[in-house]
Amino acid sequence: MRVSDIVPWRQRELSGEDDERSTQSLREEMNRLFQDFYRAFELTAGEGGAMGTFNPSVNVSEGEDGYEATIELPGMDEEDIELILGRNSLTIRGEKREDREDEGKSFYRRERSYGYFERTIPLPTEGIDRDNVTATFDRGVLTVTLPRREQEATERRQIEVQMS
Amino acid sequence: MAEIDVQKQEAQEMEGTERTRTGLVFVPSVDIYESGDDVVLLADMPGIDENAIDIMLEKNILTIRGFAGEGGREGYGLAYSEYDTGDYERTFALSDEVDRNKIEATMKNGVLKLILPRAEEARTRRIEVTAG
Repeated sequence: MRVSDIVPWRQRELSGEDDERSTQSLREEMNRLFQDFYRAFELTAGEGGAMGTFNPSVNVSEGEDGYEATIELPGMDEEDIELILGRNSLTIRGEKREDREDEGKSFYRRERSYGYFERTIPLPTEGIDRDNVTATFDRGVLTVTLPRREQEATERRQIEVQMS
Repeated sequence: MAEIDVQKQEAQEMEGTERTRTGLVFVPSVDIYESGDDVVLLADMPGIDENAIDIMLEKNILTIRGFAGEGGREGYGLAYSEYDTGDYERTFALSDEVDRNKIEATMKNGVLKLILPRAEEARTRRIEVTAG
């Protein structure tokens, strides 16, 4: 896990017991946060959508400056997509509607799915710049950009100085 | 009509063919229905650009392909993944002759829509059958 890289543990450099304890607990807290973060992903995978209905797939990537969630929503209109940013989660929901003009047609093949869906992506409680979360919908793929909060970036820079 | 649960099905390599591109190839989910004298085909190809679609009609064999561009944000690594990205490819045998000069293709929100008008001869033949 990358957390261990960004929070280096150097016991010798610590002056007192109190410092040691607080650093230890910070580290544990961060590890727990990230473990929960990823474990929660597994739990919510595939929960949205009943059998045979639209159940879109989600990818989450992580980089230096934040996270990016993408979700495949082919055939949806952006006005039918709703995004809710909770305290520690991002919920994407909407309804993929069948074209009215398709009704009563004789189908040779019907593999595409329609209907209501809801997916929830857990987010770390701290560290996300909630005011600058953006979403774009392009070519049937919704991309949600979740930048890291400046404060965290500053902390990380300080650690880099210590290491050198 | 078979229900297909798998959202993204990887294409089986056809016998005697060699891929000239690397990466994954998926079979897009489709709806095909009749609309008047046209056959309409909808294929889910999320993430594919309208300029990266290739449609071929050889006799009554229709092949659609969508080529994926560079995916993923630079410097970002996947933390959690439910889907892979790659090209799309699927071949269809059309039961009626299609007027290949009048095929209309549009791409909207990651869905390819093909309108395949039946050729005049095919239409006439259909009318004859109905009348007889």
